[in-house]
Amino acid sequence: MGNKIYRYSLAGLSTLGICMALYVCLSSALLVALIVIALAIVILSVGERKNVIDKVYRLIGDNKALNLGIIALFILLLPFLVQGNNYLLHIAIMAGIFSIVALGLNFQIGGIGQINFAPAAFYGMGAYTSAFLSVKMGLSPWLGTLCGLLMAIVLGVVVGFPALKARGYYLSLVTIALQIIFTLMIVNSPWIGGPNGIPGIPSYQIGGFSFRTPVALGGIQLPYQVNFLYLVYILLALFALAANRLYNSRVGLAWNAIEQDPIVAACQGINLTNTQLLAFCLGAAYAGIAGAIYGHYTSFIGVENFDFSQSLIFICMVILGGTDNVPGVVLGAVLLTMIDEKLRDFSGYRLLMYGIVLIIILIIRPKGLLPKRIRVYQQKDRSEYSSHSAVVTGGSR
Amino acid sequence: MMGVLRTERVSIDFGGLRAVDNLDFQIGDEIVGLIGPNGSGKTTFLNIISGIYKPTRGRVYFNGEDITSLPPHMIRAKGIARTFQTNRLCLNLSILDNMLLGLYCQQQTTWWQAIFMSSSSSREIKLGIEKSLAILAHFNPALITRAYEPVMTIPLIDRRRIEIARAVVGDPRLVLLDEPTAGLNSEETNQMINDIAKIRRRSSQISIIIIEHDMTVISRITERVVCLNAGQKIAEGTFSEVARNELVRTAYLGG
Repeated sequence: MGNKIYRYSLAGLSTLGICMALYVCLSSALLVALIVIALAIVILSVGERKNVIDKVYRLIGDNKALNLGIIALFILLLPFLVQGNNYLLHIAIMAGIFSIVALGLNFQIGGIGQINFAPAAFYGMGAYTSAFLSVKMGLSPWLGTLCGLLMAIVLGVVVGFPALKARGYYLSLVTIALQIIFTLMIVNSPWIGGPNGIPGIPSYQIGGFSFRTPVALGGIQLPYQVNFLYLVYILLALFALAANRLYNSRVGLAWNAIEQDPIVAACQGINLTNTQLLAFCLGAAYAGIAGAIYGHYTSFIGVENFDFSQSLIFICMVILGGTDNVPGVVLGAVLLTMIDEKLRDFSGYRLLMYGIVLIIILIIRPKGLLPKRIRVYQQKDRSEYSSHSAVVTGGSR
Repeated sequence: MMGVLRTERVSIDFGGLRAVDNLDFQIGDEIVGLIGPNGSGKTTFLNIISGIYKPTRGRVYFNGEDITSLPPHMIRAKGIARTFQTNRLCLNLSILDNMLLGLYCQQQTTWWQAIFMSSSSSREIKLGIEKSLAILAHFNPALITRAYEPVMTIPLIDRRRIEIARAVVGDPRLVLLDEPTAGLNSEETNQMINDIAKIRRRSSQISIIIIEHDMTVISRITERVVCLNAGQKIAEGTFSEVARNELVRTAYLGG
């Protein structure tokens, strides 16, 4: 009994520790953030060598309710922790939006092992569809978001169906082409603002309450970002849950089998076309809804938010966080969003610094911060069968 | 004899090369050995049956149904499972995950069920795990304790066992084994012969086509042997009949 309470509190403390580390990264200066990240990397590397990370995973997994509660409470209290600082809240919102896109992209990179170089095109498809419908057609932003999601899926099918006949480098080339076509098409379409973008995108409303009005909570005046923070993180929670369930289902397994060997996968009864298209379309759906929310949040979208370099950043988030690992991908997206914002101090050298940070992290953790792991289906199995070397070592790719 | 699989004058051309030439073949409730020198079209023939290649001419019937133009995943769903010449497990995945892949064709969960009805999805996985572990225990109980280890940490003989276990776990009607003893030493080959015999002991409703170069394997487990040379069937019968056949001797020894 005492052991149980001990484990319970240990699990709670480790989650709390992760939340606090993220909070410190978010709220302090670049140097402090980098030190925290460096410390985290050291802990991860040492922990893995001593098989501690595995135990922490189990500890957190065994006490899911408690840990999800702590994370939820952390996000709920975040506006108060940062004392209503709207810039920090903005970073947190962008981290959430990018996390959703990265989770979707992970179905392709982590799942079927195909690098899609056009996540920003799907993200932009969602944003432009929703913005256009609500600005030019007067559609409700909620419906616009739904249409954005659907249009991104349509783009996913139209591009994915022919493109997925190719694999590896060839598929990547097709997606690079898609990304370039998408940006060029927007710049050359005056009816969606061309190079000027779409300004004045309306915000979400519930009843008469606009998401762009500040709220007073517990006697403290909080900026309007709070509404979006909660909206984005509720969605992120749902989308991460869905991604996790897919990963643990036969669908996630089929994706991994296709990644490893498509012919063997087909000989196990996996329909290659449909299963790969599914990874493409679900990824597009995630990106589409994230893009739509982005538009309604910032009230302005321009082509520079959806260009090739944005796509590369999404890819970095997935790879740096850890492919095919839902917490890893979210962690990667959150960290890179924060680092990117912190580096604004460097102005001209920002991208250079960004690249250096990325390279250093990937040299130390080449498989990402939280690498892909062996699936564990039930906690009970785990004690029955030994589970050392849970981290996938090496690789056949 | 009730025919499980039958091919009618199957041919396949790769450019100017005819790898399989007018092959009539059939198998009932039995173990058939497929032998022949290198390049005689044995693996190509298995690839045609399992749908990886489409024959240039001829038809393939499975349980009386024409499966010639079906893609591999539908042929697997009909009940033909196979292993590969070079061991092709998913090395990054655990033993258990590889076994669950063998059950993929029997499972029903779609992506939206996986997301919105996760309890039925995990119940299906749980049943699959029980079944997988039972089959693993049948082949090598030691593998159960390693079920959560990635396959790349497992020695070759056990990888082959897992591949065979993956093929039979989904209750196929016909199993195609492509050189199951390649790369094994004689002790391991003996173990493998026992393992293949175990498949039949588990269920007599499984027919097996086995490609093999090791004639002790062929003589000990097959009930009938078909010998190919240059894509054509040159002999058929029990092992001792085929072994005495003059054409077979010439094909193997040259001259």
